[in-house]
Amino acid sequence: MLEHATRTFSVRAEQARTLRGVLTGKRAKGPAAITALDDVTLRIAPGETVGMLGRNGAGKTSTLRALAGIVPLHSGSAGCGGRIVSLLEVGAGFSRDFSGRENIYLQGALYGFDREQVQARVDRIIAFSEIGEFIDVPVRTYSTGMFLRLGFSILAHLDSDVLLIDEVLAVGDEAFQRKCLRRISEQIAAGATLLLVSHELAAIERVCERVVVLDHGKLVFDGPTTEGLLHYRRLTGTEHGGGESHRPHVSGPVEVVELELRDAAARPSSVFHTGGALHVHVRLRSTPPLARAEVSVELRSVDGTRLFATRGSVELAADGSGGAVFEVSDLALLGGDYDLVVGAGEPGASAVPLRSVRFAVAQVEEAEGVVDLRGSWRSLAATEGVR
Amino acid sequence: MRYRYLFSQLVRRELRQKYKGSTLGVLWYVVNPIVLMGAYTLMFGYVFKLQRYHDYPIFLMVGLIAWTFFQQSLLAAAESLIFQGGLVRKARFPRETIPASSVTVQLVPLAAMLVLLVVLAGAIRHTFTPALLLLPVLVFLLFCFVVGCALVVSVLHAYFRDIAPALTALLLPWFFLTPTFFEPSSIGFVQHHHWIGTLLDWVNPLAPFIEAMRSIVYWGTTPDAGRMVYVVLIAAAALALGGAVFRRMEGELAVVV
Repeated sequence: MLEHATRTFSVRAEQARTLRGVLTGKRAKGPAAITALDDVTLRIAPGETVGMLGRNGAGKTSTLRALAGIVPLHSGSAGCGGRIVSLLEVGAGFSRDFSGRENIYLQGALYGFDREQVQARVDRIIAFSEIGEFIDVPVRTYSTGMFLRLGFSILAHLDSDVLLIDEVLAVGDEAFQRKCLRRISEQIAAGATLLLVSHELAAIERVCERVVVLDHGKLVFDGPTTEGLLHYRRLTGTEHGGGESHRPHVSGPVEVVELELRDAAARPSSVFHTGGALHVHVRLRSTPPLARAEVSVELRSVDGTRLFATRGSVELAADGSGGAVFEVSDLALLGGDYDLVVGAGEPGASAVPLRSVRFAVAQVEEAEGVVDLRGSWRSLAATEGVR
Repeated sequence: MRYRYLFSQLVRRELRQKYKGSTLGVLWYVVNPIVLMGAYTLMFGYVFKLQRYHDYPIFLMVGLIAWTFFQQSLLAAAESLIFQGGLVRKARFPRETIPASSVTVQLVPLAAMLVLLVVLAGAIRHTFTPALLLLPVLVFLLFCFVVGCALVVSVLHAYFRDIAPALTALLLPWFFLTPTFFEPSSIGFVQHHHWIGTLLDWVNPLAPFIEAMRSIVYWGTTPDAGRMVYVVLIAAAALALGGAVFRRMEGELAVVV
């Protein structure tokens, strides 16, 4: 079915020329040629689930396009066997004047399916997309979200061997994204191969067993997901050490020298699980040396909302250095991204926030939100009532 | 061909899209050319009296129908890749289907009017001869020729956006040089300078098509063998060349459309 996907190449960006430009030999003014992909070699075996990470412009979309056969390589080769289905742009492949239903047939045809094959799946596609009556209305009227839903629905229900998905899922609301991931998991269980680009690390952690990281067109990491995510965070500066420094304009005597999050086995990590362990390792130094220092740990959501804060006291050695671990053994956080901010200060004074690190908690099926209330359901007998 | 369904989808879409929402709908494909031809016939058949031929309208229409097919196909094909840019950027499929479907769409008015014309000619000029069997063959060959041209034009226009306007400008003189209104041999000027006749008859690739079709429909005779050979050769050449050029240039299409 699917052979290896190999890509070694460099692609340049060029603008469309006019005849006049060619005849007069003038180049169209514009930015210099960009190397979108620089000597990248990537092999993916059938059935693998690979996440692709990188900053904007790193070459992720170019990789997908090259694999899909949409864009050629300037050197090297790209190959992808089996039936490929892709979701790269939210509105592409839709004929504006035709209804959603007709567009389903068009896209099916585009991927090389015939009428019967598409017909067999049409109802499922429409049901999944939750577009309702709008399905028979020209897609000119659709919102971006609707395009995504229909586009993804089509992709998710045609029998394909390879799924190439660009960071378009972010367009949908959380509930739909969850639904998409679930559907993707079903397809993977049935043997599909997945290459997913996303900025949502929790989603990648959930679905992909392998991660590749691209930076400026080069492949800089290829390996298991947990390490891949760590590498990516390091790259984008949201990991320990490289974390945001909240250096106040008046710096106190105590400094956070090191901040690291570790899992139950004391390994540094940036992805954790609801109900699992999370240990915050902090190393401090005070100049001039103090006997004790105040440490604060604050948990914030990505938009800055304070979720939890606490403080503690650390004994310091004669040279002013010391460390502490804030241990959480049963994490009551649900899936999502969070910031952990650590601060330090003199005893008696308030701890000043000094370092932060971002981490993710893997999504779970049963609950959404931030806090896990840890309740459980019990059926009511007929006689038990509410007063 | 795995993409046969895609091809039929594209043709159906284009047929409907152009006149979607209008009352006459698909009929416009036929009405427009008829009106045009009516005008030409009036002008050159009666007002300016180029009447060297009996039943001049029929004489004229054979050429005009074929020319309109050629012209409209090329103009539609030129824009086709850009118009369907979303599809090109979406998945990998043989992109030749797009310009090919533009040409196929034009077959509808061509076929409709040719049938009408044959019936008319048969009734008025009694030209129901076995030669008519060659007409579908000629139409097919014309189709191949035009598809070849369409492939070149569509891919060039995607990269050099001047092509479509340049084409529009070029088609006009080409039209007047094509023997739609006349047969070169019957013009006095040509009779004195044979080489012009040869030029008009043979260098213009459309001329043999039109003259062959006219032999069948207007004269009721089999077109002469030389012309048939030429027609077959030029159709094959156009298709081969068109295909080669298209394949050579289609790489970066997803970037430029």
